[in-house]
Order: sequence, then structure tokens, then C-alpha cells
Amino acid sequence: MGNILFNVGYGHFLVLAAVLFLIGVGAVLVRRNALIILMGVELMLNAANMTLLTFSRMWGDLSGHTFALIVIAVAAAEASVGLAIVVAVFRGRRNVDVDKLTTLRH
Amino acid sequence: MMRLLILITSAFLAWGAVDAMAPQAAYADPIPAQQGGNPRARVNIVKKSPHLDRVESRDKGMALLFWLFAAMTVGGALFVVTRRNLIAAVMGMVGSFLGISAIYMMLYAHFLSVVQMLVYAGAIMVLFVFVVMILNRPEDEPVAPSGRAGQVIGGLAILYLVGRLVMLLWKVQPPDPIKALAAPVATPEGHEWGTVKAVGTDLFNGGLFPFEAISILLLVAVVGAIAIARPLHAGQDNEGDIPEGEGH
Repeated sequence: MGNILFNVGYGHFLVLAAVLFLIGVGAVLVRRNALIILMGVELMLNAANMTLLTFSRMWGDLSGHTFALIVIAVAAAEASVGLAIVVAVFRGRRNVDVDKLTTLRH
Repeated sequence: MMRLLILITSAFLAWGAVDAMAPQAAYADPIPAQQGGNPRARVNIVKKSPHLDRVESRDKGMALLFWLFAAMTVGGALFVVTRRNLIAAVMGMVGSFLGISAIYMMLYAHFLSVVQMLVYAGAIMVLFVFVVMILNRPEDEPVAPSGRAGQVIGGLAILYLVGRLVMLLWKVQPPDPIKALAAPVATPEGHEWGTVKAVGTDLFNGGLFPFEAISILLLVAVVGAIAIARPLHAGQDNEGDIPEGEGH
């Protein structure tokens, strides 16, 4: 037990990333507000970044840092377009509840 | 709850202090000081020598910091899932991102840590706050309704997934412990690992095409965001509570 608490190693970082990813999955699956779903996606991307950096550190290879940088840029683009879609949806129907967006169902 | 947290923190700190007072012969200088030579050069070398590797060490203070930032990260993320108030969720997200940035710093990813703070906690979260302010609608029901059976099955599935992931990730070992630890610290260039210079060199040597593709992607995203968010008809802005000029 003391070993787990005080001897922080790579496993700690990986498990933390996994927990973060699962919380993001939970936000996407459970919540119905489109904004919270976008935030869950951001959390998952961050968890993936943390895994990349941990493995990069573990192997002593900097390619993981480059990859994480590119992931951050793609996440920024994704957030801007996603929020634009949320604003456009809100313009039309005055709420952003994803359970009520059923026009494309038929 | 707060009292318990303070108690645990002070216990950690006391343990770390006792540990720091113990004689530590193991913390040797990775770069041996030159034999002989003038003292100024020796001081220079000692100053330039990379700091000790703390990720895989038994440093109590480092463990305390790791748990602190991990709690910050996970707590902020849980805040996002559970809060009904959207602004509270965004603030939890900011705290989570700051904790992640500190965790990156522990992984010797200094540049990525600063980028994380600037891009996520700075830019993306401001964007989220903007949109929340535009929407300005409290959520009626934060959680999708589901039956008792669905809850039980979902909970069991989540527990199984968590268990398998933790069991898998906990067993991960560095490929070659000596090499992995040696890469960032024990070489004369070790203290540059993960800095702007190192990451930039790697980015522009191997990742030049993705870099250029990212610039095009960002341009497309900016144009696409403006094209999507602008009102379709003139005068649509005036009917609702959306401030005029939004999206132009």
C-alpha cells in the first residue's frame, strides 16, 4: 500500500489517464446537453495526450510530444466547429438537448 | 471532509520532512564533477547538470504533489459530469486542465504543459464560456433517464471496464529501465528534454507535413465555424436573446 502511495511511477500516470478517459466517456453517454458532451470529448482527448506523453517519457522518445501537440491543435479546431454547430442548433430550436434533436431520425 | 483533507496533507508533509532529513547518499550528481580544473568551471557544470529524476523515485513530496494534482484533475472532471449549472461545469473543466498541465510538467513535458495551459485553460475554455453565456439556458434534467435494469447493467459494465484497464495499465513496465531513465536526465543534453527546442527540432524534422496540414485544418475550421454559426436570414438575430452581430 505504501508502495502504491509513495512510489509514483508510470503506472500511476497511465491509470490517471484511463480514469480521465472514462469520466469523459461518462459525460458523453450520460449527459444530454451538447456543451457537456463536447467537454467530455475534450476530456477524452486530454487523457489520450497524457498517455502519449507518459509513453514518450517511458521510451525516451520525443515523438510523443509532437503527436500530442498535433492532437491539441486538432482539438482546438474540433472545439471551435463543435461550438459553432451548437450555436447554430440553438438558433433554430432554442435548446441544445441532444435527445430532442430527432429531425434526422426518419 | 475538508478537515480530513487537511489532516492527510499535513501527514504527507510531515512524512516528507522526516524523509528529507534522512541522509541520502543515493542522490548522486548524474554528471561527475571534473577532477581538478578551476572551481568556476566546476560550478558551471554543477549548475548546468539536470535535476534529479523524480518520476521513478521514492520522493514523498513528489508523491504528494502527484496525488494533489491527480485529485484536482479527477475532481474537476467529475464536476463536469455532475453539475447542472453550465458555468460550474466549465470552471471544473478549467481546474481539471490546470491539473493536467501540472501532471505534464511532472512528465518532463515542459513545452506541452505551457501549451496545455494556454490553449485549453486559456482559449478553448473562454470559447466555452462565451457559448454558455450566449445560450443562457439552465438545463432541465442533466442526466438521461434510464430504468433500474439499465443502471445496474451500466454500472457493472463501467466497473468491469475500469478493472480491466487498471489491471492492464498497472503492469506496464519501461522497456529498458536504465535507458528510459537515462534519456531525460543523465546525459549532458538531458535537461533540454521536452523543452521548446527539443520538441521543435523533432516537429520540424519528422512532422513537417502534419504541421502544414494542421495549419490548413485550422484555416478550414475558422472558415467553417463562421459559416456555420452565422444567421441564415437577416433579421433572425432580432427575435431572440442572441446579441446582434454574433457570428459575423
